[in-house]
Amino acid sequence: MTACVGEPISWLRLEGFALGAPDPGIASHIAACATCRGCLDHIRADVVALPALEPAVRPVRRRRWMTPAFAAVGAAVLAAIAVIIVRDPAAGGPEALDAKLGAVAVKGVGEVTLELVRDRAGEIRHDASRYARGDRWKVVVTCPPAGAAWVEVSVSDGATTDHPLAPAQLVCGNRVVVPGAFSITGLGTNRVCASVAAAAGAPAATVCTSLRPE
Amino acid sequence: MLRSREDAVDVVHALFADLIPTWTPDVDLPYLYRAVTHRCLNLMRDRGTRARLLEREQTAAAPVGRVRLDDEVVGVGLVAALTERLDDGHLQVLVCRFVDDMTQDEIAAHLGVSRRTVGKRLDRIREAVTLLRREEAS
Repeated sequence: MTACVGEPISWLRLEGFALGAPDPGIASHIAACATCRGCLDHIRADVVALPALEPAVRPVRRRRWMTPAFAAVGAAVLAAIAVIIVRDPAAGGPEALDAKLGAVAVKGVGEVTLELVRDRAGEIRHDASRYARGDRWKVVVTCPPAGAAWVEVSVSDGATTDHPLAPAQLVCGNRVVVPGAFSITGLGTNRVCASVAAAAGAPAATVCTSLRPE
Repeated sequence: MLRSREDAVDVVHALFADLIPTWTPDVDLPYLYRAVTHRCLNLMRDRGTRARLLEREQTAAAPVGRVRLDDEVVGVGLVAALTERLDDGHLQVLVCRFVDDMTQDEIAAHLGVSRRTVGKRLDRIREAVTLLRREEAS
């Protein structure tokens, strides 16, 4: 039994109905059509508990006395303080401020920026350099639109090298996510590298970063 | 559409990770539908991912095809093959009609185009499928 008895209710309408949106037309059709009723049951049963999202940050209101000159002086003072108190990243202190994989120029592609994104129980961080059990990592690529990039990701713990993500040919754009995510296990520093080329087998440029355990 | 729960979770995760910094009340279910469809189609355009999806496609796990394109249910294989022949606008109509089972009026409202445009795109889709099947047969 695969055919709808009349005009099928679209998945968008069914999902809205499953979320509680009032839709009088659906109830009578669902009562009469086992196929569409099965689709609604599939939607209701297909629940994937995604991790909680990071709360949105409200933009800070600018005060009237915040002139550009004052802002520049303040930024310089803060930067000077940051230089004085920044700790050695090799120590067990706060995470390094910049753990991006980096930017490279790739022949046939252009300027490519690669970034590691960490998902820790729903908290997304773009500057993470430490890993813990359960963290999910994704690689994000930014390259000139209308181009394409071949990306291969490797993770090495010094003894073995893994390729947790399938090599991917991406359509270039702003912050394009390499399909898939990976986790890091173990107790030591892992080196994550991403090689970028115009196509599989073409000359590649590689950028790496180190991830340390919490 | 991706026939993979992990890939689907990744697509949704990536979408929300991009939306959070600029969150607005305008993000509703239809918007999320369009955005996720767009990202899934981008994934399927990538040859490496397409090969991986086709290799592990489980037709038994696919939802029932309530709307058919002539005599066939539009599956991952056909959508993947058409990503190289059709542009974004046509692919969105393809997915809306034959994967999400929308009517032409719903598609027009969902994509913000006229019903006539939807009809024209469906005709073009049928031509592309006919040509594809002819090439496969020969």
